[in-house]
Amino acid sequence: MAHVTSRRGLLFGTAAVSAGALLAGCTSNESSEEPAANDQPAADDKPGKEVTIGFAGPQADHGWLNAINENAKSRAEKYEDVTLEITEGSNDTAQQIGQIETLINKKVDVLVILPADGKALTQVGLKAMRAGIPVVNLDRIFNSPQAYRCWIGGDNYGMGLNAGHYIGEKLKDKPNARVIELAGVDSLELTRQRTQGFDDALKNYPNIKKVARQAADFTVESGQAKMAQLLQAQSKFDALWNHDDDQGVGALRAIEQAGRDDFLMVGGAGALSAFQAIKKDDGVLKATVLYPPTMAASAIDLARALGQGKGVGGLAEFEIPASLTLYSAVVDKDNVDQYMSTGFK
Amino acid sequence: MTQHVSPPRSGTGKATPASEPPAWRALLFRADVRTFSLLGVLAALIVIGGITRPDQFLDTRNLQLVLTQASVIGVVTVGMTFVIISGGIDLSVGAIVALASVWATTVATQEYGFAGILFTAVIVGVGCGLVNGVLIAYGGMVPFIATLAMLASARGLALLITDGKTQIVTVDGILNLTERDAYVLGIPPLVLVFAAVTIIGWLVLNRTTFGRRTVAVGGNAEAARLAGIDVRRQRLYLYLLSGLCCGIAAFLLIALSGSGQNTNGNLYELDAIAAAIIGGTLLSGGRGTIIGSVLGVLIFTTITNIFALNNLQSDVQQIAKGAIIVAAVLVQRRTASTTT
Amino acid sequence: MAPEPPLLTMSGITKSFPGVRALDGVDLDVQAGEVHCLLGQNGAGKSTLIKVLAGAHQPDDGTITWRGEPVTLKSPIAAMRLGIATIYQELDLVEGLSVAENVHLGHEPTAAGFVVRGKAAKESTAALLGRLGHPEIDPARLVGDLSAAHQQIVSMARALSHDVRLIVMDEPSAALDPDEVDNLFRIVGDLTADGVAVVYISHRLEEIRRIGDRVTVLKDGRAVAGGLPAKSTPTREVVALMTGRNVEYVFPERPPAPPADGTPVLQVRGLARDGEFEPLDLEVRPGEIVGLAGLVGSGRSEILETIYGARKPSAGQVLVEGRPLRLGSVRAAVRAGLGLAPEERKAQALLMLESVTRNVSVSSMSRFARGGWIDRGAELAAARTATRELSLRPDNPSVPVRTLSGGNQQKAVLARWLLRGCRVLLLDEPTRGVDVGARAELYAVVRRLADEGLAVLLVSSEVPEVLGLADRVLVLREGRVVHTAPARELDEHRVLDLVMEGSPVASVGSPVAGEGSPAS
Repeated sequence: MAHVTSRRGLLFGTAAVSAGALLAGCTSNESSEEPAANDQPAADDKPGKEVTIGFAGPQADHGWLNAINENAKSRAEKYEDVTLEITEGSNDTAQQIGQIETLINKKVDVLVILPADGKALTQVGLKAMRAGIPVVNLDRIFNSPQAYRCWIGGDNYGMGLNAGHYIGEKLKDKPNARVIELAGVDSLELTRQRTQGFDDALKNYPNIKKVARQAADFTVESGQAKMAQLLQAQSKFDALWNHDDDQGVGALRAIEQAGRDDFLMVGGAGALSAFQAIKKDDGVLKATVLYPPTMAASAIDLARALGQGKGVGGLAEFEIPASLTLYSAVVDKDNVDQYMSTGFK
Repeated sequence: MTQHVSPPRSGTGKATPASEPPAWRALLFRADVRTFSLLGVLAALIVIGGITRPDQFLDTRNLQLVLTQASVIGVVTVGMTFVIISGGIDLSVGAIVALASVWATTVATQEYGFAGILFTAVIVGVGCGLVNGVLIAYGGMVPFIATLAMLASARGLALLITDGKTQIVTVDGILNLTERDAYVLGIPPLVLVFAAVTIIGWLVLNRTTFGRRTVAVGGNAEAARLAGIDVRRQRLYLYLLSGLCCGIAAFLLIALSGSGQNTNGNLYELDAIAAAIIGGTLLSGGRGTIIGSVLGVLIFTTITNIFALNNLQSDVQQIAKGAIIVAAVLVQRRTASTTT
Repeated sequence: MAPEPPLLTMSGITKSFPGVRALDGVDLDVQAGEVHCLLGQNGAGKSTLIKVLAGAHQPDDGTITWRGEPVTLKSPIAAMRLGIATIYQELDLVEGLSVAENVHLGHEPTAAGFVVRGKAAKESTAALLGRLGHPEIDPARLVGDLSAAHQQIVSMARALSHDVRLIVMDEPSAALDPDEVDNLFRIVGDLTADGVAVVYISHRLEEIRRIGDRVTVLKDGRAVAGGLPAKSTPTREVVALMTGRNVEYVFPERPPAPPADGTPVLQVRGLARDGEFEPLDLEVRPGEIVGLAGLVGSGRSEILETIYGARKPSAGQVLVEGRPLRLGSVRAAVRAGLGLAPEERKAQALLMLESVTRNVSVSSMSRFARGGWIDRGAELAAARTATRELSLRPDNPSVPVRTLSGGNQQKAVLARWLLRGCRVLLLDEPTRGVDVGARAELYAVVRRLADEGLAVLLVSSEVPEVLGLADRVLVLREGRVVHTAPARELDEHRVLDLVMEGSPVASVGSPVAGEGSPAS
């Protein structure tokens, strides 16, 4: 976990504080129909220098990734001075490299890149930077800080940590509490980070024990299948953390099919269906930990600021920060209304 | 050799063992050696499951769970088995399941309720099968390529329809299918569908002209053609059948997961092929059994279940799955070589 | 025979497979420079014996002496190092490699131990092909693009690319035309003149007469006769040794009056396929057997397959019982009452993994099916009736068809059409791969089917077979009918003369006296 802690170290230095402040600006509280397309000014709401932003992301085959695209698009539309060059999403590394190289050749002013695979796309990030095009690296981080001007992304470790703390607080008075975890795609580093954060948080509560963990693969189908098995394996437990609200649809289905309601469930990511269930409060799902897709809108703000050579509002700095880690807020019944508009389908 | 005079016509159409000459029984026995070895593997798994997690594994609910989880891929595998026996391959099954499941769960389709969803899932499956079949039988395309193209386009279309979003099913009739109230004599409706597809598949393969033609086309397409069988039409029907199975499986998956998602049916093609192969179906065609394939599916599902109940992680599960495939095929090669 | 010690002596060779004793104490000695023929029915142990000799099988018992030294042939490579090369019936060439690469496969001329010297390989291959009388084969061509005859030459070149002292040839002439066979025999003659010994396996007695020095006859895994003089041993004696019976290569009697006045059941009018055969007219009446005689490439098989709908004609018409047939459709032909027993039985007719029953019923399934459901009892009974009528052995239609001998496999194909109730039977090389002993029985079956009212159109590359079995013969040359006559008015010399377009008949080789002449 060395890499995680080192990054967290960096964050705790300055960025964590500023990120919170910035986010307050980026993801507004005012509800609007479009997720995150809010009216809050970012760098400078007044039209400034024309900026062409190239955006390259993976294939939007998943609710969260789809929300990323929509956030980026609607945010860019809001600015008269921003032209967004968006590529066809691709999960193929070679194809994505080609798309980004095309954007470099088109001489866009700023690049926003959500790589299919951060490590594999480092070289093309470096290439863009050398060509004088600042890169905003979204979420999946490049291998080298030289490959981006600014990184903005979610906090997988923090997600697990906050989920663990939320569950810990709920169960702290319960002796011999049992917790299970439904993880995401196990071959992804982010899944390992989420699990590590979750485990680290639970260490603070000696009365709680994690008794089982199974990995699904972010799909409804796998969520249902794995959850059904977990329910059969654990006839009694007190809380469940599910990494991903998409697979959570399946997990909830399995819970319903098994007729179980004797535990509390915490989700992850922040899907609209999860928010609605939390608001209704008639099932096991009591909270979800954010991994906000609004980061794409923020990335557009950052890119625009970079293109216009400005800083961001709410900070004293002349330059925008090199790294921004978003806070994985816990959304429960008390604050769900505030986040409802950011929920993705 | 003893000669048996077969009865002129047995009224039931059921061949009694006594009327079967010894050589046929030897053939039957060899088929059974394979089936028995699979049953042996399954029995061994049940023992392992029973020892490691007796309370959770040996439980009616768990049996219901395993069979339910096996139903979706099981129905797909029955169709796949026919295709492989005919000497073909269908790589598009997972993608067809995905497309059928999202098409059947769009807001527009859901307005037509239970029947609308069922109808759409089946029609989309059959439609994709039709395209596969026409391309292969009449377009002269290699099954591998034609169904690979279908895989790509059906997945793409599924993504286009959903826009990457999860489509939640709100039709109660569908959602209630997996409720315990809907169980018939303790058997979940999904499992009943799986059982029906298996039995019909077995009967069609072993007792009908369609099944015979399938085996003949797979065993020797040229000989089948010269014997007067319409090989191309048979191939078309086979991919239609596989598409139909995918449509049914998509409907089961909709009921099970309560939703439609473009990621549904992920890697079904490999799971179905693997189950058919460990079930004794020749990848080159001409031989295979429905029972073997279904046992293959049950073995895989049981392994997954045992691993989950023992809280073993997916890396270990995948290694074990690979090892089982290799072991099963090796065992079968041994039994096949000692009996011929 | 040569006084010096034999090149090869095998004595007491025994080899068992699970359930079968394939070789039971076989003795064989081969002299340098002789052509030693191995004769025997299918299953007599010929293949097993040559596989032992090639190092592919290890004998359970017995000794092998090579040039006076006892040796064990542990592997094909070991046999090859001693100078024993084998040319198998099923050619073991890699179709995706060039001629030169095939010839040198496993012992490529190399530089620095691993760099293949392609030019050297091509040159030495060209030299070998020239020696074999086929300098026109390009060493750079892919083997898959060559004809069967040329592939055989390549296979032989491969054998000769080693320093070889003994060549085993397993039915080398099976796929060859007479003139190709002549070339083969010339090569064999050259080899023996150089002191190389040849072990030659063939079903064709006349070939053995022409080139053989001595004959060893195998039956049921034993050598029932060793070292018989090939040229002078009477045919009757050889056949008797092979079969254990005194069966001859005989043909059934023709009916006294050929049914020349019946209405033709099959009429072919102006049927043609560009580049294969010219417009053809023929008629076959019920009860009549019409033979097509011609060389490989004369269009014989193509004509049958076109009539049957497996190929689309460029012109012409086929009428069955007076009704025109939709051409280019096998299903239409089968429905109209045609049945084909194709040349390549295993590849084109049989479902090798299936039982005899299923092979017999495959063309008549709907008869046992109601709404697609098969009544297996009725199916088995019908298959049993059909196979019994043809005396198929074993008398058990539930055995897998692959366990049957060649002759019985052919009977299974005939039973298929018998069960279907076909009116016209098209036979393409009906006795290929069928033992001498079983042929007579097959001929009798075909004649009986004709007597029962079937019209039979027969194609064979063996002229005596066409002359002996058919009532009427059409002689084909290069896709054209050059002569039509009742079989009894023709003899083999005349037919060969016709198919060879006046070239000296002697070069084709005269058949063994007494063979091929109709019994009637």
